[in-house]
Amino acid sequence: MIEIRVHGRGGQGGVTLAKLIATTRFLEGDSVQAFGLYAAERSGAPVQAFCRYDAEPITNRNLIYEPDHIVVLDPTLISAAITGGLKPGGWILLNAPEPPERFREEFPAHRLATIDATAIARDNDLGTRSVPIVNTALVGAVGRMLGFELESVLASVRHLGFDGGNLDAARRAFEGLRTLDEFVSSGESESTLPAPTPPRPPSFLDGAGGALPQIRTGQWASQQPRRQQMVPPCNHVCPAGNDVQGFLQALAREETDEALDILLRVSPFPGVCGRVCPAPCMDNCNRIGLDGAVNVRQLERYAADHGTAVVEAIAERDEQVAVVGSGPAGLTAAYHLARFGYRVTVLEAGEELGGLLRTGIPGYRLPDDVTDREIDRIREHGVEMRTGVEVDRERLLELARSHDAILVATGLQELRTLSLGTAGAEGVIQGIEFLERVHHEEVRLDGERVIVVGGGNTAIDSARSALRLGAQRVTIVYRRTPNEMPAIGEEVDQAIEEGIEIESLTLPVAIRENCESDGGTGGYLLTCRSMELGAPDESGRRRPMEIPDSDFILPCDRVILALGQSPDLSVFPEGTEVREGSRLLGLIETPVFAIGDLATADGTVAGAIGSGRRSALHIHETLSGELMEDVEHTEARRHVDVWRDEVVHPEAMRMHLFELAHRSNGAGLSPWERSWNFHEVHQGLDNAGEAKRCLSCGVCNECDRCVTFCPEGVLKRVGNSFLFDYSFCKGCAMCASECPRNVIFMSQI
Amino acid sequence: MAVELVTGNHAAGYALSAAGEANRNARGAVCGIYPITPQTEIVEYVASFPFTKGEVVPVESEHSAMGVSIGGSLAGARSFTASSSNGLAYMVENIMVAGFYRLPIVMVAVNRTLGPPWNIWADQGDTLMLRDFPWIQLYCQDNQEVLDTTLLAFRLAEDRRILLPVVVCMDAFIVSHTQMETELPPQDRVDRYLPPLDLPHRLRSEHPVTLGGLVWPNEAMFHRAEIDEAMDRVPEVFAECQSAFSKVFGRTVDSAIETYETGDAESVLIASGTIAITAREVVRRRREAGEKVGLVKIKLFRPFPEAQLRAACRSAARLGVLDRNYAAGAGGIFWQDTRATFQGSATTALIQGYLTGVGGGDVTPALIDAVLDDLMARSEASRPQWMGLEPPKEDIA
Repeated sequence: MIEIRVHGRGGQGGVTLAKLIATTRFLEGDSVQAFGLYAAERSGAPVQAFCRYDAEPITNRNLIYEPDHIVVLDPTLISAAITGGLKPGGWILLNAPEPPERFREEFPAHRLATIDATAIARDNDLGTRSVPIVNTALVGAVGRMLGFELESVLASVRHLGFDGGNLDAARRAFEGLRTLDEFVSSGESESTLPAPTPPRPPSFLDGAGGALPQIRTGQWASQQPRRQQMVPPCNHVCPAGNDVQGFLQALAREETDEALDILLRVSPFPGVCGRVCPAPCMDNCNRIGLDGAVNVRQLERYAADHGTAVVEAIAERDEQVAVVGSGPAGLTAAYHLARFGYRVTVLEAGEELGGLLRTGIPGYRLPDDVTDREIDRIREHGVEMRTGVEVDRERLLELARSHDAILVATGLQELRTLSLGTAGAEGVIQGIEFLERVHHEEVRLDGERVIVVGGGNTAIDSARSALRLGAQRVTIVYRRTPNEMPAIGEEVDQAIEEGIEIESLTLPVAIRENCESDGGTGGYLLTCRSMELGAPDESGRRRPMEIPDSDFILPCDRVILALGQSPDLSVFPEGTEVREGSRLLGLIETPVFAIGDLATADGTVAGAIGSGRRSALHIHETLSGELMEDVEHTEARRHVDVWRDEVVHPEAMRMHLFELAHRSNGAGLSPWERSWNFHEVHQGLDNAGEAKRCLSCGVCNECDRCVTFCPEGVLKRVGNSFLFDYSFCKGCAMCASECPRNVIFMSQI
Repeated sequence: MAVELVTGNHAAGYALSAAGEANRNARGAVCGIYPITPQTEIVEYVASFPFTKGEVVPVESEHSAMGVSIGGSLAGARSFTASSSNGLAYMVENIMVAGFYRLPIVMVAVNRTLGPPWNIWADQGDTLMLRDFPWIQLYCQDNQEVLDTTLLAFRLAEDRRILLPVVVCMDAFIVSHTQMETELPPQDRVDRYLPPLDLPHRLRSEHPVTLGGLVWPNEAMFHRAEIDEAMDRVPEVFAECQSAFSKVFGRTVDSAIETYETGDAESVLIASGTIAITAREVVRRRREAGEKVGLVKIKLFRPFPEAQLRAACRSAARLGVLDRNYAAGAGGIFWQDTRATFQGSATTALIQGYLTGVGGGDVTPALIDAVLDDLMARSEASRPQWMGLEPPKEDIA
C-alpha cells in the first residue's frame, strides 16, 4: 500500500489533489481512499489531505501517520516540520520554481522533486489571480514522480470533469517535473520526527472553551485588505475644484450646513454654480449607466440656498494684493486670499460687481439677489471692492509698485464677429452687449423677428431674453447641429420648449436691408449657407463644411452675434504670453498673474472659480512658502492607507449593490409661465433626498458593509477610521468584494 | 453496476434519492432539508436530484426538516432527511413524533460530537441520544455499507410488520468525507427492491381523520406494546430484507451483527462503525500470532440484537466493548446494553467497557492493541476505561 500526504492551505484544492491521485489508481483497478483532515479553519489555513492506494482491498480507516511520499502545494509551507513520519527515501514533491537541488540541504534523507505548479496554473487561468488552483498541475507531477502513465493521469483529470487548461496543466507538469532521485540513507529513520507528546488540554472550567483562538490566523494570509481613497469622477472634472462627492455625502447625511461648508472651502459661488454651471460632473457621473446622473447642479443650489456656514479665515497677514476685475475669477481669488489673511482690493471698471455674472447671465437663470448674497459673503472676509476704476497699462504698473501681488482677471473683452458686409450693419448687435443692455432694461423687441447666431450659452441666453422682451419670432442659427452646441443641454431644451427655433447647419454670410422702397417688407435679409458635418476637428466635434450653391435668405429685424470672446491684452506689453501661472511684467519684482478667462479662455463660471482659487494658492505659496493644498486635503484622507490620484471608473464600482432610484429634477415654471418675463425658471429642489443617490465612488462613506461581512470579525470601525486586525485577518477578500465603491483592495504580502 | 469513487455522503444521498424516485408511481418522495456539517453534502445531493414526483423542501431548522418529512410520510410519500449532532438534538421532538406516528421515514445521520465545545469529528453520542425512541438504529462502517443499508432501511421500515422509522449512521469524515470505490446501483434495481409505499394509516382527504389526538392511558400503553411487538420482529424482517437485497443487487449487506473469529475466542471485542473495521485488522494480526481473540461488529443497535450477541459470544471468557460515545454517569452505551444482554444468561464472561475515540479521536490499531492487552490481562472488570486519554483519568483532579 502506498500512502501520500498532501500539505496545502484551505481553498487550494488539496483534497481534490488527493482525489485526483486516488482516481488515477482507481481507474487502473486499485483499491483507494482519499480524504481530508477537516477542521473549523477556512480559507488559508494549513491543511492536510491524504490518499492511499493498494492492489488489495484497503481496510485501514485511520489517518496517515507514516506516509510514503508527501506533496506540498504552497511554497510557504516548506519546512522541516512537514516531513513528520515520512518514510526514509520517500519523495517530497514541492510546488516551487527552484530546482530540487535548492532544497537538498533542508531535506537530505528524501528524494526531491519540484515543479512550478503556480506558474502553470496561472498560465492556464486556473483559480483566481490571488489563489491559483494548482492541483491539476500537481497530479501530473505526482504521476511522473511515481511512474504512472501520462494517459492514466489525464484520464483521472477528465474523470473528475476537468478539461481544457487543467489537462494542459497536468501534461506540462508531467513533462516539466525536475527530480533529484537520490538521498542520504542514515540507516535509522533519522528524519522521522518523534511524535510530540500532546500537551495537557486546559480544563473546560478554566474557561478554555471560550478563549480566543490561539492561532494567529493572519499568518496564513497571502494577501491583506487595505483602504484607499480614489478620485471620484465628479471631483476630477469639476473646473472649480469642488469636493463634489464630499458635499453630496454631507447632504445625504442631511447635514446641509456641512455641505455648504465643504463648498465654501473651494468656491464662494455655490449659489451661482448651482444655477448656471454646465456641470461636467453630471456628464461624468458613474451613476449614468445605472439610472442617470445625480442632479449635482441642483443639489449645489440646495446647499447654497438652505445651508448656513461661515468659513473662518485661516490667518492674518500684512501683504496687500490687488485684483483687477470683479468677475467670478477675480472675486474667487480675492475671497481665498482674504481667507489666507491678505489685504485684498478688487478694482472693477464697471459700475457693478460681478462681471459677466451680472451682465452676461439673464435674471431668469441667475437672479441678482443670489449674486449679491455671494458677493456680500466675500466682502465680509474683508475684501475691499471698488467700482468704476479703469486699469490701463500705466495704472497696472502703479499698482504693482504699491502692492505685493497683482491678479488680472479682466476676462474676455474682445468679441468675435462675423463679416456680413456693411449693408445692414446697424441691424447687427453683439450678444454680450445685448445682454448687458437687457440687464440695464434698455431694450424692448416687441414684434421683432430676431436671429441669434451661435450655439453657446450667450446665444441661448440672448435668444431667450429676446423672447422675453416681446420678440415675435426668435431663430437660432448655428453652423453645426444642437448635439454639438457648447451650451448647457437643459437650457437648449428649455429654449425649444419656449418656441425658439433652431436653424441647424446654417452659416450667415451676408446681411442687407430689406427696403420697403425696393419692394421689401422692412427689416433685413440675412443670406445663409447650408453646411454639412465633415471630419472631427481639434475640439473633437465634426467640422462644418459649406455646401456650394446652397444659399438661402432669412428675413429678420435684428441679428445678435454670439460667437465667443477672446482676451483683450492691451493692458500688457506687446507680445506678452498670457497664461495661467506664468508671471507677467517680468521687469518688475511684484508677482503679476493673469487669471480666469483672460488666461484660460475657458468660458465657464466654474472654470473661472477654479482659476481664481489656483491663482490665490499660487500667490500664497509665492509670498509665504506654505503649501495650502496639503493642509486642505488632510481632512479628506480619512485615515486611508493609500491615496490614489486615479479616477474611479464605473467598472470599478459594484453597481449590483445599489438600488435603482429615479433622479429628482425639481420644479420649474412652465413655458407659458416663463417665456414673457425674467422670473427664475428653475425653482430648485424641495429637499436634498437626491443626494442619497450619490454612489460615493472611491471614497468611504462608512456604509459598514465591510464590517458586516467580515467573517472573522477582525474589522472594526472607530469613528471614521477602520482597523483591520491583521494578526487574525486571513485575507479572504470578502470585505473587498463587498465594498460597493472600490475603497478596499487586496495587497499581496 | 457502476463503481465510482465517491464519499460516504454521496453514497447516502444517492441511496435516499434513488429510494425516493422508486416511489414515483405511488405518492412520490418528500424530504425536508436543513444543512449541518458534516452531512450537508447529503441534502445537497438530494436537493439537486430531479425527482419525477415529490418535493424537496428547504426549511429553517432541523425541527422543521423532520416536520416536513413527517407530513410527507403521513400523506403517503416515501420520506427521508439527514442531520447530525446538535442538529439532531434540535430535531428531537419531531424525531419522537415520527416514531410514535409509526412512519417509515429513513434518516441518515452522520455521527458528530455534540457540543459545546464545538467539535465536528466522529462520536455516536448524537444518535445514541435517541436510543429510547421508537426508531430502528443501524451503524455502518464504510461507504458501500451506508448506501446498501440506506436502501435496506426503507424496505425494513415500510414492512407492514414493522412500520417504524430507521436512522442509518456513519462516522463523521472517516466515512462521510472519504472517497472510496462504491458500487452505485441503477434505478431499475432500486425500483425492484423498493416497491411503491402503501402506508396503511396514511391521511386521505376523502376520509378525514385526526391522527395522534388525545388517548386514554390504556390506549397509550397498548400503542407502546404494539411498538414493542414490532421491535421484536425487526431481527427476523431485517434478515428477510438482507436476502432480498442479495437477490436484487447481487451482493450481500452486513447482518445485524457480524462475527469474526469468535468460534473459539477467549477474548472478544465488541465494536461498531469504523472502529470495527480497524479492530478486525488487529484481530486478524493477533490470530496469526496465535492469540484466541475475536470480534463482534454490532450494526443493529435498536432493537439491540440480544439473542444473536449471546450466541456469538457463547465461548468467550472476556468481552471488551469499544464505545465511541459516553453516557454521562454511566459509561459507553454499547457496553451498558452488552452487560444487560448477558444479565441472567448462562455466560459468566467478564464484560469490560472501553471509551475509545470519544470526541472524534483516531482509533488506531495501536490503541486497539492496548485494549486487547488490557482485556486479556484482566481477572475482573472495572469501570469503563478511558483509552488514549492524556493525562489519564486518574490524574484529572
